[in-house]
This record gives sequence, C-alpha cells and structure tokens, in this order.
Amino acid sequence: MELVNWFNELLAGNLIFTPQTLGYYWNGVVTTTQLVFLSLLVGLVMAVPLSILRGSKHRWIKLPIYAYTYVFRGTPLLIQLYIIYYGVVFVDGIQQTFLWPLLREAFYPALIAFTLNTAAYTTEIFHGAIKATARGEIEAARAYGMSDRMMMRRIILPSAFRRALPAYGNEVIFMLHASAIASVVTLMDITGAARFVYARYYAPFEAFLFAAAIYLCLTFAILYFFRFLERRLLAHLRPQN
Amino acid sequence: MADTPIPLEVRNIKKRFGDTEVLKGLSLQARKGDVITLIGASGSGKSTFLRCMNLLEQPDEGDLIVHGEEVLFKQTRHGREPADWKQVVRMRAKLSMVFQSFNLWAHMTLLENVIEAPIHVLGKPRKEAIEQGRALLERVGLTERADAYPAQMSGGQQQRGAIARALAMGPEVMLFDEPTSALDPELVGDVLRVMHGLADEGRTMVVVTHEMGFARDVSSQVIYLHQGLVEEAGPPQDVLVNPTSPRLKQFLAPKY
Amino acid sequence: MLDLHGYGPRLLEGAGVTIQLAVLSLMLAIVLGLLTASAKMSRSWLLHKIATLYTTVIRGVPDLVLMLLLFFGGQMALNVLTDILYDRSGIDIFINLNAFAAGVITIGFIFGAYMGETFRGAFMAVDHGQIEAGKAYGMSDWLVFRRIRFPLMMRHALPGLSNNWMVLLKTTALVSVIGLSDMVRVAAEASRATHEPFTFLLPVAAIYLLIASVSEWMFARLHKRYNVGFGGH
Repeated sequence: MELVNWFNELLAGNLIFTPQTLGYYWNGVVTTTQLVFLSLLVGLVMAVPLSILRGSKHRWIKLPIYAYTYVFRGTPLLIQLYIIYYGVVFVDGIQQTFLWPLLREAFYPALIAFTLNTAAYTTEIFHGAIKATARGEIEAARAYGMSDRMMMRRIILPSAFRRALPAYGNEVIFMLHASAIASVVTLMDITGAARFVYARYYAPFEAFLFAAAIYLCLTFAILYFFRFLERRLLAHLRPQN
Repeated sequence: MADTPIPLEVRNIKKRFGDTEVLKGLSLQARKGDVITLIGASGSGKSTFLRCMNLLEQPDEGDLIVHGEEVLFKQTRHGREPADWKQVVRMRAKLSMVFQSFNLWAHMTLLENVIEAPIHVLGKPRKEAIEQGRALLERVGLTERADAYPAQMSGGQQQRGAIARALAMGPEVMLFDEPTSALDPELVGDVLRVMHGLADEGRTMVVVTHEMGFARDVSSQVIYLHQGLVEEAGPPQDVLVNPTSPRLKQFLAPKY
Repeated sequence: MLDLHGYGPRLLEGAGVTIQLAVLSLMLAIVLGLLTASAKMSRSWLLHKIATLYTTVIRGVPDLVLMLLLFFGGQMALNVLTDILYDRSGIDIFINLNAFAAGVITIGFIFGAYMGETFRGAFMAVDHGQIEAGKAYGMSDWLVFRRIRFPLMMRHALPGLSNNWMVLLKTTALVSVIGLSDMVRVAAEASRATHEPFTFLLPVAAIYLLIASVSEWMFARLHKRYNVGFGGH
C-alpha cells in the first residue's frame, strides 16, 4: 500500500502521466510483446524448413522460396501490412468461415504480416549460416558414413543455428522496432498508446519520449538476452586462454 | 659549402613507447650527397629513428632541422607535438620516404601514384607532373607498367615504383626504411641497383637496411645502433671492415 | 490494362516523392555518418560520448516513434519559438513544419547512426601504411582524407552502405503516417476509397522491388569502381 501511495504522490501534479495513461502504455507493452513474440515464434518455426529447402538442388523448390524472401525483404513492411489488412476482406468466402471474427480485428492481420516478414528474413539468415558450414565438417560426416538427412540434423543445423545467433538477435530487435507500425492500423501497441496520449493532451515530447524509453529498455533486454545466449552457446568458438 | 644549408640534421632524439625507452639520444647530420646507412639488430631502434626524422613518430625530445629550418614543438596533454603542422607538411615535402611495405596507394595506378603528391602538395601542373612521372618510371625500368595498379605488380616493381614516387618530389633527402626486407631474394637486386644509381648521382640518402653489401659499397657513413644508442659510427671501411665493438663484430659475423 | 480510377498521376507523383525523399535522406545520412565516425575515432572524450549516445539511442528506438517525435515535437517547438518571437518583437509568423522536410531530417538522422557504424568500421579497415605514405609526402590531413582515406574507405564501406540504402528505402514508407503523400499514402487512400486494395498496393510493392533491383545494379557498378586496383574481389 505504501508503494501505491508513493506512486500516486509521484504522479501528483502531473497532468499527463496519470494512472490511466500509464495503463494505456502498459496495455501497449502487452500488445507489442504478444505481437512480436507470436510472430517471431511462428516465423522461426516456418523459417527452419524453408531455410533447408532454400538450399535444395531442385530449382522448383528453391526458386519459389527465394521469390518469397526476395519480395518480403524487398518491400516495406507497411505495404505488406496494408495488403493483408485491407485485402483480407476480399479473399473469397472468408467472411463465412470461423476465421472472420479474428481477421476483422487489426491484431491478426498485423500478426500475419509480421510473421510472413520475419519468416522471410530468418530464412535468409539461416540459409546463409547453413551455407557457411565448414567443408571439412561435412566431409568428416560423409567419411563416417552419415546420410544427408542425418548430417543435416546432427552436424550442419546445430552449428549453423549457433552461428546465426547474432544475426537472429538483430532480427528480433528489428521486429520489435518494426512492430511500431501496428499503430497505423489502429492497434494500441506502445506506439499506439503514445499517439493516443499525444492526441489527447497535445504533449508530443512526453508522449513519444516515454514510448521511446520503453522501446529502449526492451531493446537492451533483448540485447543482453542474446549476449547471454551467445556466451552459453558460442563458447566453443572463443579461443581458450 | 657553408652557404648552402645542411639538408637534414637531427640532434639528441629521444623516444619512449610506454615504459621502454627505444631511442636514448641519437644525432645525425646528412650533408649534401651523403649516404648514411643505419644498421643494427631488430629492436635497436633504427626504423623508429628514421620515422622520427619526418615525424611519423613524434620524438619526446630532440631537435630536427630540415634545410636550415628548425621544426618547432610544443607540449600538449598528449605529449610533445609539432607547434605548427603546416611547417611539418612543408618539411615532409622535402624529405621523401620509401617504406618497407611499399605503401603505394592501392586505388591509384602507378603513374597516378607518382604524380599525386607533386600535383596536390607541390602544386605542379598536371601535364608537367605526368611528363616528369613518365621519365622517372623509365628511369626505374617501369615504363610498361605506368597504368598498372599496385596489386598487379610484383614486390620489386612496387618498390621501384615507390622510389619513382619519392623522386618525383625532388626531395632534399630520401629516407629508406628497410626497402628490400619485404622482397623475395631474387627481386632485391633490381631495387638495390636503382638505389646505387641514386647514390652515384649525388643524392642525399638515409637508409635503414640489412644489406651489408650495399652499406659497404655505397654509404659515406655507417651507423650501428644498439638498444637506442649509437654503438659505432664512421666510414664503412672502419665500421664494417674493422669493427671495434664486440657486439658489432658478432652482428657482422656470418650466421651460418 | 490496369484501371487506376484516376489515381495514376498521383501515384506517379507519390513515387517521385518517395525517390526524392530517399535520395535526400541518404545524402544527409552520409554526412551525419561521416561526422559520427570521425567523432567516434577522435581523441576527444566528449565527442566520443556524444556520438556513442547518438548511435545507441537511435538504434534502440523504432523509426516510427522517432519520426512522430520529431514531426509533432518539432512542430510544437517551432510554435513555441514563434510565440516567443511574437511576444518579444511583435513579428507574427507561423512556420508549418513540412512533412517532407521532417521526413528527410528524421530518416537522415536515423540512418546517420547506422552509417556512422559502417564508416567507422571501414575507416579502421584502411591499411595504415597507405595513410602514412600520404603524410610522409607532405599531404595535409584534409588532403590525406580526400585523396587516400576516403576512396580506400569506400571500398570497405560499400557493402554496408548498400545494405543501409535498401533499409532506408523501405523506411521512407513510414512518412505516409505523418501525412506526406508518398506512393504508399496515395495507394492506401485509393485502396480505401475504391475498395480495391490490390490494384494499388501491389503495383507500389512492385515499384519498391524495381527501385531495389536498380540500386543493386548501381551498387554493383560502384563496387567495381571502388575495387579498382584490388584484383579479383
């Protein structure tokens, strides 16, 4: 209770950061986190098989995947979001399915756009890491009689995923920042909350600087999390003193 | 000869890197036409000494007089520094250095390398610089390679090109920092021949080298450095043929 | 043929806005990037701290938030300034912060931070002997920079530069949010008005891909030029 009192006192005399607006920001943090976490999770699950198939010898497997990553990496996420947000209505018969109530809200179109986007980037990151596997390791695996499938599973992927970690960390931060455009399609994420507070109080500095500070904290949290992971998982790449 | 100023004079140069004093008070006087060779084991300070002469390293103490003009220093919080960088620029234009690793500018052709400083530092007209540059390339035997980039040339060609670049400045003194040390043995001869020719035409040179044959045949003075001090100095007949210090004797003894 | 419901000319104008915005922002970003890199490599403690703060904050905050902050905050700051001017001297002016200028400044400012990192790495990759040779031949610091460090640095910076440009190009889409009629905004408006989103948004996406492909080709040529003298790279 004392904490609450202290908090109220801190906010007293402050017209903008009322418990109510802080509530908006908090809901914004929840929305942003959900959006980013879910899209990253699904994107990651998609990217693993896609990145393996991207390196396939068959043109008809690798070309469509390349086209997908090229288009999604070559156009602004905002356009992708608009296409899905405005376009989903026009998918034949979608309004009769159980999905419609979900898709009518901005959250799911945004989630779909973000997922497809991050899956494209992640596919290329993993593909690059797989391609960079040392030839010697592959030859050694062959020499010990491993099948292609086993070699991929036991040798190539474990080392490739670890090597991809720093780049993937950047992708996570990139997604966090990119998710700010969700506010453009009326979602109340962190940026959405800031825009709302700005419009209500006409206080651009307070509204947006506070949002910026939240993003900065989240960015650093992700950064440190990935540094920790790298220390754990990439220990074998560091020279021993 | 008293009316023409001495091309290069350094007095009592001291230099330390952290806790180690690498130069403990070195002096040298290069009169017109002198060829001074600096010899010594690695770590003796000979390259650092040479680099202090055109202020690629800043000496902590000591005087530097180029063509009668004394370089002024001031004390800053980063240590001793030249008081007037314009003066340094002017003085460096009179001394041209040939580096161990050639350091031809990688993004320019050989001819562009040679005309670069004459045009932009000395303000020579482009046409004149090109004419002079071609003549110098002919002189070092690289007429054919004028439009080649450094990466396309052998080490020996690069170093001869670098000598042409140095000559293009019309320097008072040429500084050579182990010019043959980075070369394959079969390419050393070409470079030494060019340097020999320069000495014969009366150029003032200060040369850090491991080539004892060159030092013996060409130099007017040989200075043997040991741990940042002059151990022995004099004409090559004395220093190289009849060394007095035991260290120098050992240094000169055949290694096989 | 594609029926653009009369939006064709505006869409084309929007594409022009996007390209101008991207090119001007890139120029500003390069200038800021060079300044940032110099500050980070300078011996001055203060400059180093300022540059580090700049790159850290910019890279930790979403582009859109920075853009909204600069656009709306900048407008407010301008209003306050003109109010003061009116109170003090009776001069009554109203400066409207132009969305295009705000876009160029914000995007330039954001990518200046990324360019700073790119340039710093590239400057440090230049062989020190090349710089020493310049000094040894009596070149001033500025001459060494212009004739030697900069062209040699560009070779190392080009991959990062091209990458930054591709990201910058896509970031320009965000200015539609602060009211600039770039091609994204025109397409979004047209989509809402005509209920034909694909008719407008897909061609705009295609234009982005086209610009990206053309720039890729141009960077390949630049790469060749700055790689002159470096053999088979």
